[in-house]
Amino acid sequence: MRMSTVNSLNPGPAPDCSPSSPMALNLDLPNRRQFLSLMGASLALAGFSGCRKPVEKILPYVKGLEERVPGIPVPYASTMPLGLNPAGVLVSTFDGRPTKIEGLEGHPASLGASDLFMQAAILNLYDPERSRQPLHAGTPASWTDFLGAWKQELIALQRRRGKGFAVLSESFASPTLSRLQRELVAALPEMTWVTWDSISDETLLAAAGIACGRDAYPLAHFDRAEILLCLDADSFYGESEHLRHVRGFSAGRQVTPACGLRNRLYVVEPSMTVTGGAADHRLPKASSQIAPLALALAAELGRQGLSPFAALAAPPLQEELEQRWIAAVARDLLDHRGSGLIVAGRRQPAELHLLLYALNLALGNVGKTLDFFPIEHATLPSTPALTNLTARMAAGAITHLAILGGNPLYAAPADLDFAAALGKVGFSLHLSDRADETSVRTTWHLPAAHFLESWGDSRSVEGQFSSIQPMIEPLFGGRSTAELLALLGQGRERSGYELVRETWQTILPADTYEKSWRRLLHAGVHQATSLVPLFPEMARIEAHLARYPLPSSFTDEIEVVFQPSALYDGRWANNAWLQELPDPVTKIAWDNPARISRKLAHKLGLSDGDLAQIALGARTIRIPVSIVPGQAEGSIVLELGYGRTNAGAVGNGAGFDVGPLRSCTGLGFAVGAVIAPAGGHHLLACTQEFPGMAGRPLVLEADLEEYHRNPGFAHKAAEHPPLQNLWKEHEYTSGYQWGMVIDLNACIGCNACTIACQSENNIPVVGKEQVAKGREMHWIRLDRYFNGNPDNPEMVHQPVACQHCENAPCEQVCPVAATVHDREGLNVMVYNRCVGTRYCSNNCPYKARRFNFFDYTQKMDELKKMAQNPDVTVRMRGVMEKCTYCLQRITLAKNKAKLEGRPLVDGEVKTACQQACPAGAIEFGNLRDPASAVSRARLSERSYALLGELNVRPRTLFSARLRNRNPKLT
Amino acid sequence: MAQLFKRWSNKLPLSLAALVLLALAGAIGFFSFYGSPRYTDAGYRPQQPVPYSHALHAGDLGMDCRYCHHAIEAAPHANLPPTQTCMNCHKLLLPESSRLMPVRESWSSNLPIVWARVHLLPDYAYFNHSAHLAAGVGCSTCHGMIARMVVVKQMAPLSMGWCLACHRNADPSLRPASEITSMEWKPAADQARFAAALRMERKINPPQDCSGCHR
Repeated sequence: MRMSTVNSLNPGPAPDCSPSSPMALNLDLPNRRQFLSLMGASLALAGFSGCRKPVEKILPYVKGLEERVPGIPVPYASTMPLGLNPAGVLVSTFDGRPTKIEGLEGHPASLGASDLFMQAAILNLYDPERSRQPLHAGTPASWTDFLGAWKQELIALQRRRGKGFAVLSESFASPTLSRLQRELVAALPEMTWVTWDSISDETLLAAAGIACGRDAYPLAHFDRAEILLCLDADSFYGESEHLRHVRGFSAGRQVTPACGLRNRLYVVEPSMTVTGGAADHRLPKASSQIAPLALALAAELGRQGLSPFAALAAPPLQEELEQRWIAAVARDLLDHRGSGLIVAGRRQPAELHLLLYALNLALGNVGKTLDFFPIEHATLPSTPALTNLTARMAAGAITHLAILGGNPLYAAPADLDFAAALGKVGFSLHLSDRADETSVRTTWHLPAAHFLESWGDSRSVEGQFSSIQPMIEPLFGGRSTAELLALLGQGRERSGYELVRETWQTILPADTYEKSWRRLLHAGVHQATSLVPLFPEMARIEAHLARYPLPSSFTDEIEVVFQPSALYDGRWANNAWLQELPDPVTKIAWDNPARISRKLAHKLGLSDGDLAQIALGARTIRIPVSIVPGQAEGSIVLELGYGRTNAGAVGNGAGFDVGPLRSCTGLGFAVGAVIAPAGGHHLLACTQEFPGMAGRPLVLEADLEEYHRNPGFAHKAAEHPPLQNLWKEHEYTSGYQWGMVIDLNACIGCNACTIACQSENNIPVVGKEQVAKGREMHWIRLDRYFNGNPDNPEMVHQPVACQHCENAPCEQVCPVAATVHDREGLNVMVYNRCVGTRYCSNNCPYKARRFNFFDYTQKMDELKKMAQNPDVTVRMRGVMEKCTYCLQRITLAKNKAKLEGRPLVDGEVKTACQQACPAGAIEFGNLRDPASAVSRARLSERSYALLGELNVRPRTLFSARLRNRNPKLT
Repeated sequence: MAQLFKRWSNKLPLSLAALVLLALAGAIGFFSFYGSPRYTDAGYRPQQPVPYSHALHAGDLGMDCRYCHHAIEAAPHANLPPTQTCMNCHKLLLPESSRLMPVRESWSSNLPIVWARVHLLPDYAYFNHSAHLAAGVGCSTCHGMIARMVVVKQMAPLSMGWCLACHRNADPSLRPASEITSMEWKPAADQARFAAALRMERKINPPQDCSGCHR
């Protein structure tokens, strides 16, 4: 509630009396002398008024708010909806303005962790290019105009019982939306409801529906599994429910002295992913070859004694490695009946999922590591329904179309020609946060409210109810999907609050409704789920697979594979944080090059950034390529969401649209692609160009056997003479002494920490050109290294931020003492002392310091500035900055403890990266407390200092990584 | 031939140098006085939208600071009272007064009163009221005799040197909790002993690191 204005711009009282008042002059006829003296006086006055102290205003409330302490952020529980997979969030609001999002502990899909999208959602809220009013045929209109227009149409539709009216919605899992959908369909019984998402679990859902005989969601429990096999599934990053999968997987990666690691992960995938990097064994295999490989696995399981598959004919495996691999995986799965798990990714066909359900069923995993939950209060995506709708639109059978969210003109399969079909619809409306590709072609564009601005509810895949509550009034008068649905059905405006409360009258007990409602809003989640898992039937699966058999031969054709990007399906293309985030594998920001294998690139004579033409049938795209180690030879991986034309200033023109190659039957992958060099080069902004560690002991790892033989391997990795200091060492013997340990065994490289840090610490975005010059500003970066055979390497990640060296090299070279140590061991950066020599950065062995080459924040849109954390200084041009160990969080926690008259307890201060990390890889705390989690982690025999041989004595240590390799495959 | 340079010209370089030195010293003196927060900031008294008198309310009527600035013991910022707080009394007291016009307007229009901020720290300095009050630093230590000011003005320079002077030796500024808002409090004869005991009891250890105030 503070406003800063410079006095000279204020229409306040006139400046102090002037030495020569201009009013005294005869202004009718100024002669030269008068003119000059007048100009001189006003120049002097203007100059002096520029030197005046800026007057800052304070605007208190008119009516005080109970329990609101100014300057102390208040957290609220809510839910971030995304298709069928909502995730609970905890939103910090600062004097009524949401600034930071964390995962909600109590919600099963987030479990306190967060991902890129959750962290970056705050920036979407303050996107200045969100539309500010409805548009009617491209011209600004009001909601009243729309209401008037719709009432006319509704009368006509009601007379026809809804005939010719269709709704195209994104999938949702929400009691209120589901109720409103039912009510709308009941009111207009002959209408059509179609649900479709560009990225969805449609194939999994179809398979689960067939296996269980009713709509069901297959939910894997990575925490309960000991042997995990992911077939073309990036379960830790690109698939739905990835947060809980990472949490579950990393729980099984806790190193115990007795048995080492609890789980073993096998991954088969076309291109290196975060999940593939986390794997103990990884096999590169094209997406189109997953099905025959799965058949071979089923046959091998049958051969080794799994009853229903004994008679299955095995497709011949070409390579010896594959044969050994399949045999070893089959053995492991059979040895761990009931604690194994086989999952496949969403781009694989339903039939493959069915085969895997059958295998899991036969192995006794269903009900233990894999549950099928009945789906209630949700609408499921269907590509056939979209195809049907488009055909009817093209035939003129649809007169009214309401598109609720989504961006079908950008995302719909190219073979549908949705644009032409939309042109045949007389009355169309699109609810969307901006006037995007679809909005400009519909009759009406209606601004959508952000989830932080609206009331709603949701249901997780296992049936956990949760609430969505607004943190702020809609900034631009947008409406939520629920509000629009109610308006469409009832022809009048209803508030989201009323609608949600109405729905919950049937869910909450009537006698304690108000109390339960308040409790729901407080906790964000309703009581535990009451859904009972379904059990799939083998007979149904067998019957379906008999009718629709999987391809049992390997094809050598080149395939294109589509995968979600940091922009998801493109809906977050205008989010600068997500655009500037280096991809976990390629480390490329602001672009989506086609990922190809080394062999294919060599064959075509392509290198990184060269443009290629990729054709699939008659459709072609031109796109730069990036060579990715560990890519299956014939696979070309294309990332969705880039190449937008109506996303906004940030998203327009970033990357390349791969949509033209996507068809109804090839939404996940398609074979028969042709790739050829197209000539030309495209600048790719890559933040890490070297692939490996060049033999240096940076990320230390060992397999389990080696670790048992030599548990202290990490301490002996770097040889060095006894370390001696040139200077008198600081003493850190009192108060809190902060330190951090990052467990590389848990870290999967998902980038959540980078975005969380960006959001917490007001880190600017610099743009593609600056990133290409190595000037990105992220305080914590993920170093990615490939080890071993370049065609099938292992990938490791290492988060590197300022290590807070006790013997900091940066401090020794700063000429103005702008970086110094404080008594709690923090290496602090004093922005207002810094003169920008950059000596510190040159002397930092970790390259953890970032320099403001330009004034990135001052010219930022006022709206975007609302996303900034008021507890962190905004840096200006010419100033060095770096990780502070979230000093603001330490200070606030210390002050809170002091006011309560107690010392800090362990775990009370969580850094932003630590709080976001889904793997729980980061421990932070007081090193002087021997019982603190960080002290215990430091004592682990796996802990080591990165570049410790330099005697910089970093406060951040790493724990060496272990791989639980199968002895039969080493 | 007559000397081109007169005898006195021998002293010219010396006197020029002396003049330059004098001018330099003058400039340094000028800027270190007129450029310092002691001159530029202390004494700052912006015009306020309401002719509210602390001398009347806190002085003559003896109202506690925390009646209006209620969050100071919990918040980093000292809050200004909502209009509601004014209206608690002024609904009945002086309901027609023209001086209270802006308050009544705010109350009826539901728009805030736009006050001018008196004590303005740079954005990179994070001062926390609650921490200082909890340590036993009273209002008047930094704000001066507010209870005698008709229009509030800044008393202390609020410069970094001024802050650090107290952080280096806080003893003379520590007072018992009961005296926190008192304007009359003076260090007692045994202040050193009292302050030492308070420091022990509340673990007062004022930070002198950059990170104490800057983040």
